[in-house]
Amino acid sequence: MTTGADADARRTYDEERAYVSAVSPTKLVVAKGFVPNMRVPGEIYVNERLRELVLDELRAYCDEDRRGGGYSPAVKQIANVAALPGVVRASIALPDVHSGYGFAIGNVAAFDCGDDDAIVSPGGVGFDINCGVRLLRTNLTEAEVGPVKEALAQSLFDHIPVGVGSRGIIPTSPAALEAALEMGMDWSLREGYAWAEDKEHTEEYGRMLNADPSKVSARAKKRGLPQMGTLGAGNHYAEIQVVDEIYDEFAAKKMGIDRVGQICIMIHSGSRGLGHQVATDSLTAMERAMERDGIEVNDRQLACAKISSQEGQDYLAAMACAANYAWVNRSSMTFLCRQAFAKMFGKPPDELDMHVVYDVSHNIAKFEEHIVDGEMKTLLVHRKGSTRAFPPHHPLIPVDYQYTGQPVLIGGTMGTCSYILTGTEKGMRDTFGSTCHGAGRARSRNKSRHVLQYEDVLAKLKTKGIAIRVASPKLVMEEAPESYKDVTEVVNTCHDAGISKKCVKLRPIAVVKG
Amino acid sequence: MRARRGVQYAYKDHTADIQIHAWGCDLAEAYAWAALAMFDYMTPLEDCARVRTTRFKEIRASGHDLDTLLFAFLDELLFTFHTEMLICTAVQVCEFNRDEWSIRAVVGGTTFVDGETRQGTEIKAITYSAMKIIERGEISKDDESTGVHRAELFVIVDI
Repeated sequence: MTTGADADARRTYDEERAYVSAVSPTKLVVAKGFVPNMRVPGEIYVNERLRELVLDELRAYCDEDRRGGGYSPAVKQIANVAALPGVVRASIALPDVHSGYGFAIGNVAAFDCGDDDAIVSPGGVGFDINCGVRLLRTNLTEAEVGPVKEALAQSLFDHIPVGVGSRGIIPTSPAALEAALEMGMDWSLREGYAWAEDKEHTEEYGRMLNADPSKVSARAKKRGLPQMGTLGAGNHYAEIQVVDEIYDEFAAKKMGIDRVGQICIMIHSGSRGLGHQVATDSLTAMERAMERDGIEVNDRQLACAKISSQEGQDYLAAMACAANYAWVNRSSMTFLCRQAFAKMFGKPPDELDMHVVYDVSHNIAKFEEHIVDGEMKTLLVHRKGSTRAFPPHHPLIPVDYQYTGQPVLIGGTMGTCSYILTGTEKGMRDTFGSTCHGAGRARSRNKSRHVLQYEDVLAKLKTKGIAIRVASPKLVMEEAPESYKDVTEVVNTCHDAGISKKCVKLRPIAVVKG
Repeated sequence: MRARRGVQYAYKDHTADIQIHAWGCDLAEAYAWAALAMFDYMTPLEDCARVRTTRFKEIRASGHDLDTLLFAFLDELLFTFHTEMLICTAVQVCEFNRDEWSIRAVVGGTTFVDGETRQGTEIKAITYSAMKIIERGEISKDDESTGVHRAELFVIVDI
């Protein structure tokens, strides 16, 4: 079933490298033939410095003795995706790309719904379905928040359940879970955890309409029930941030951000165990369907099914439920943040102007209309570690952002800056309206734990004036800024390539993590 | 397999996630060590080893080849952790059936208590990415001393 890349004769690094060529200062192209059965080329958006990181991964893969272990570098994974049935134009990678499982992280691919063979792949969405970033604004300034940031960080840490094994504090019954899966943020609104305006500023208005809770397994629901309203672990966080620089005053103003020093809150979280189990279940179901339908892929983790097949439709309905769960989850944490701030400043959250600026998904598959070779087509766009970035005047973005383009939220790493970008016409044409999602890892978790010291990382954050509350000490090293690519470099590449535009830079003053 | 006392697993480098390398004198043993490696990442098992094992559970999993069997086995344990908060400190694979591709294991451990048990890093899911399961026939003493094992496996888990 799998025609492994391992099976063909091993090529040297130079032989592999010959397939990869730079077509502009911000773009590499991976030619067909790099892995078997490629239908379209691969395209990687990287500048010169980030290019080295991508090629280093390939070099390490070529040099290692493959007696055991080892894993595919991102370039190989991008090419494997270009070999999937129904893929159009190119398998695209953004500057924060790195090796993942199945698809690379930071990989976008679109499949033509008009093609009967076109597929949907859970590996192109990832285990954390609808993992995403939400940004809240406030009318507070750094001068007001600075003196109480330690207390505020502690209060957020007390309000929001974080880390492995944590349980939600908002009471949930199995019936409520069913409703949440079907209704997404409409459920949060009904239960009083969200404001009506929040929905306006969320992708899909916080609810995917094709959600069918009966397609979510009992196992997934069992995992999801106790975790509703929890932040999770890994790279997930809640941060209090300060507006550091405004590049596009007009767009920032539309977002309610009008001065340097203004306080915002960023929440990065996903669909927790429910989404992970939905992905795991569909992987098992699709394995069987692939054998039946004779679909061949280069990597077992790329399990997929025809969009029109029962397995494909079931996955899309279950994925929509998990997406709804994630929005409910981020809404619950928004509620908790608003409570924490209201208590601290003795004012209700609406007086603090704690509105949602926007909420983006960076692990999701969606049906969208795009122009391919001069023809309008309905595509199933998979974005894994990539953010939708629609241009101004696109019908699917809110009225408030019709003139600016969709806000794109880029979470940095613990202790570095984050960005707000906006979508562009060029991105719509070249990358199916997609851009980067974060910094992207550069160093392995193992190396980080061995090279970095817990105390050093914390001391460094302290000198930057960042209050931190973290559940697991191990995570402090694994998630240290040194483990990641430079987010500024990543964002600048997207800006220079024209696939999104820089709008606001934010820096953290308090971090709460798993 | 008890936790600590010469563990038979290691965490290998991976950019975003963690690759578990586990070994033993047969696959049943390697699978059991892989399970312990998974729990050790989520909470330090050395803490739990001092606590008396208070809970036991029978785990069953099935697949249609070695890869799917490993995937199903680890997924079942991860599911048990996330729903029943059971941290396994001892795993014994009692039946490793290659005709039906099924596993029966008995696990023992303690309960993860939110706010008390030390938190490691959460594992989201098991992946097939670069999964490798290796069995060798007889191996010489020399091989053994250079770190060649009769059965070993590599599995990447999503963080």
